[in-house]
Amino acid sequence: MHILGVLLPENHFVKHALTHFYGIGQKTALRLCARVQIHDRARIRHLNQSQVTALTAFLSSPTNSPPVSVQPLAAPHPSLAAPVQPAAEQPAPVDRLREIKIESDLRRQMRENIAHQRMIGSYVGRRHAMHLPVRGQNTQSNARSARKLNRVERYN
Amino acid sequence: MSLVAALRTGRAVHTTSATLASSAGVIVHSRGYAAAVKPAKKVSSKFKANSGREDKEKQGPRDAGAYHPMPVNSLSDPVFQTENITSLQLPTFRPEAITPSAVAKPMAFPQGESKALKAYGLPRNILVDHLLLTKPCSVIRESTVDLLDQLDKASGSSSKDTRVVLTGKTGCGKSYLLLQAVQYSIQKEWISLYIPRAINLVNSSSSYAYDARTQTYGQPAFAQQLLKRFVDVNEAHVRSLATQAAYTFDDGREFSSGAQVMDLINLGLENQNQAPTVLTALLDELAKQTTYPVLLAIDDFQALYCMSQYRDPFFKSIKAYHLTFPRTLLEFASGKKSFARGAVLGALSTQNTTFRVPLELVESLGLVPSVPTNPYVRREAELLEYAKGLKNFPVPERLSIDEAASLFDLWHQTKALHIPRGDEIFLAKYTESGGNAREFVKKGILQTVTV
Repeated sequence: MHILGVLLPENHFVKHALTHFYGIGQKTALRLCARVQIHDRARIRHLNQSQVTALTAFLSSPTNSPPVSVQPLAAPHPSLAAPVQPAAEQPAPVDRLREIKIESDLRRQMRENIAHQRMIGSYVGRRHAMHLPVRGQNTQSNARSARKLNRVERYN
Repeated sequence: MSLVAALRTGRAVHTTSATLASSAGVIVHSRGYAAAVKPAKKVSSKFKANSGREDKEKQGPRDAGAYHPMPVNSLSDPVFQTENITSLQLPTFRPEAITPSAVAKPMAFPQGESKALKAYGLPRNILVDHLLLTKPCSVIRESTVDLLDQLDKASGSSSKDTRVVLTGKTGCGKSYLLLQAVQYSIQKEWISLYIPRAINLVNSSSSYAYDARTQTYGQPAFAQQLLKRFVDVNEAHVRSLATQAAYTFDDGREFSSGAQVMDLINLGLENQNQAPTVLTALLDELAKQTTYPVLLAIDDFQALYCMSQYRDPFFKSIKAYHLTFPRTLLEFASGKKSFARGAVLGALSTQNTTFRVPLELVESLGLVPSVPTNPYVRREAELLEYAKGLKNFPVPERLSIDEAASLFDLWHQTKALHIPRGDEIFLAKYTESGGNAREFVKKGILQTVTV
């Protein structure tokens, strides 16, 4: 199945298949599944249309996704019910998922960060421009990846 | 002259050509690559073009002649007679046959008459045993007779009075005992609901969805499958039942009191989204009716008291009692809801260490905690509520000698063992395992099979 142009193999677990998106790792994938109420052992072929729509809608723009409403849970016994705080005092649960960036947004952010470092003339920017390690690694030996990949204008 | 001899005597070694040449008196170099190159002989090509020949003879497979398979008629040794698999000849498990005189006798569960055991499934260890033994069977123990006596007494009274949990050491036979109780109840014309692996309710293996009406998470796929299995086993009884209350569902369907319970179940079977609600309604109906006693049997009982592996949209773990069906089971187990006639049986399991028996359940059943505890250890109020009034049925950790002998005999009848059927071997294995049923079978008897 394709979601936003990324092929998710039918037989994979959903919590693993979502990591095929650039910018989604295992932790984010698990949180995404929980948000859409997909169980751990669900495979891509088991997803129903509403779940696929929910995933697509969220991933197309995480920042603009509707906030998740709190789902109140019934107490086993009235005497065991937690005291209900008025809505104004209840702290809003933190929703980290809305802050994530994926695919082209993430790549753009990375390019902008490197371009900013170059523009302000920082050490980090200079190292990117010289195709050398940025974070203080050895250059007398072992700087192969940096020489190959460090650029100011990244290809992705 | 050999190399070894030459090394001993200190003489030089000559190759074969050199020795022959030296006998003829000709000097030849001793190394092959320095030998004179003979001119290659010209050999005419034997290549024939295919285009000329039209009727090419087709060759059959190359037959060495020595590896012909034997004709089937000459395979007369009994080893080759695979059709003659002798099945175990055992008395059938019947309620009338379960008496104190039947203790230590193996009995086969009836097959074919009802779909019962096959419909509900089995705990994994029992399934493996049945595959190996080729026939579902078990040995009747003293605790079987005791438990079934308790069930008989419970058939007239509310399930609130008979909420029993089978406990004991790992491998002592709790799951088998529960299975025998379920089989007994089916044959005694009870309505039975058996959940062989309650861990599948809480390990995030089936779909879940929040239900705003009950404020719990329902499991539609599991509920639908359980309804199907329930109908497979109890259809004959359920057809005669009528609802005693009215039910309305989200999709607009309504059932007034007096409607057929079968129609209610069919709604759940057709519509997976309504299945959790239908299952709760079905259990409420079974609780009210007095025609048939009801047995609710749950293996892996402790899983209902643990934290489930499901997560809410904020990634917080969901407790098992916030799931619709486990909550219903806990309510029946704790006496908050009860069947007018029947019993609730649970069996603890030690196999999965992710779902261990929690402290509240350990204390309610009067077991010894595995970890040192004190009054300051936090006990959850909800779990204490749900563990109230549970009765402990300790399963003896040792098989008696007769029961073990009967088990040993049973495995011998399958002709799967490579040990003789003798007292020495039997007593050796019984002592090594300390009488523990699983150890006796898996590590005692089956480990002797040499491959």
